[in-house]
Amino acid sequence: MNDLCADIGYLSINHAGEELCGDHVETVQQDEGSAVIVLADGLGSGVKASILSTLTSKIISTMLASGIPVEECVSTVAKTLPVCSERGVAYSTFTVLHLINNEEIEIIQYDNPLVILFRNGKNYDYPKTELNIDNKKLYTSKLRLMENDIFIAMSDGCVHAGTGLTLNFGWQRENIIEYMEAFYDVGFTAKTLSTILLDECDRLYEGSPGDDATVCTVRIRKRESVNMLFGPPANRDDCNKMMALFFSKEGKHIICGGTTSSIAAKYLGKQLKFNLNYEESDIPPTAELEGADLVTEGVITVSRVLEYARDYLSENSSYKIWSYKKDGASQIARMLFEDATDVNFFIGRAINPAHQNPDLPITFSIKMNLSSELAECLKKMGKNVKVSYF
Amino acid sequence: MKITVCIGSSCHLKGSKAVVSELQQLIADNNLKDKIELAGTFCMGRCQEGVCVTVDDKFYSVSPEKTKDFFVNDVMPKVK
Repeated sequence: MNDLCADIGYLSINHAGEELCGDHVETVQQDEGSAVIVLADGLGSGVKASILSTLTSKIISTMLASGIPVEECVSTVAKTLPVCSERGVAYSTFTVLHLINNEEIEIIQYDNPLVILFRNGKNYDYPKTELNIDNKKLYTSKLRLMENDIFIAMSDGCVHAGTGLTLNFGWQRENIIEYMEAFYDVGFTAKTLSTILLDECDRLYEGSPGDDATVCTVRIRKRESVNMLFGPPANRDDCNKMMALFFSKEGKHIICGGTTSSIAAKYLGKQLKFNLNYEESDIPPTAELEGADLVTEGVITVSRVLEYARDYLSENSSYKIWSYKKDGASQIARMLFEDATDVNFFIGRAINPAHQNPDLPITFSIKMNLSSELAECLKKMGKNVKVSYF
Repeated sequence: MKITVCIGSSCHLKGSKAVVSELQQLIADNNLKDKIELAGTFCMGRCQEGVCVTVDDKFYSVSPEKTKDFFVNDVMPKVK
């Protein structure tokens, strides 16, 4: 095993007027470090396309993950797909990204736009081998992974964006490469990179896409831990134990909560430095503490982070706020969503006597729910999450 | 002189942001920037009485509406 890991993020926009997307992305995590990702684009749009692409991606990902050769997967798909009554064919194009032990990637492509690979900030033209299965022409590639590789798989709805509207022939794969190359160094997550590309496609379609468009990005990066301390321990005597465990962890350290940060400051023997800059936000200001990377207020800040996390998992529209703002919630969001591959939560279960007031909208159960829901969201983002309670 | 405003969860909900910005304004308007240090802190443990403010070590309960009165009656007389 090496210390690399894959950040996988995908998003789709639907053909104008369709409720279902005709593209489908399926991921199967085999073990830590190995995964099969299939992006399938069903013929046509709407419900038929959706069924075709869902079946295709599900069959291929499950079979490949079980170690069955690609030839068999493809012929199974060909024999299984229902034939369209109007067009007399069963058809779904697909792209497979198969990550092996975070060391290698196997790319299998059938009729989708070719996967783009950015390596060292530049477009990298990787070798492809042609494979003929049942008169279908597939391309396979096998590459060693390198840190900061970015793979972008897409459906043809992306390259057709803008045809006849803003552009004569849509924007070509080369244009997409040029457009996305600019974002290589920023450090955006895979999901955000997918969103940026799709937003541009949507703009070229003038907001009413002529085809389903899907982008799936895989970013290869080094593992990085972020540790988050939230709330004082239920038993006062556990303060030192909790702090010792928290500060001994490798990686970044975030401390949330007023009382919590005082306990941490006392443990470290350092002073908390508050600033009164609200950073054009309704989130309480942050503080500085030598030995911690970030100190914020508790419940209000973390509630906002949870809102951002939920949005990140669905439409991902609020990255436009948290990706650059300086308030506590945005900073936590960047550290947890962008920087972290592993997150360790240290949750204290003390009941704050000051909050046991019916006038205040803060209750103990809210705090507990916040931390467990945030942990759940981070797991869905593909991060390794550990939660310890004190 | 040091004025410290609580920016913890409860006081935040009770309007510490407004108190802070009004105090910043009042200090600037009265040219007291060299005499008054305005600082923040997390919970003072008296959330019921928020927004919690201390002037040096004396405790005051200040709401956004009462900030100006507080400044005129409790802060100005002590500034030399």
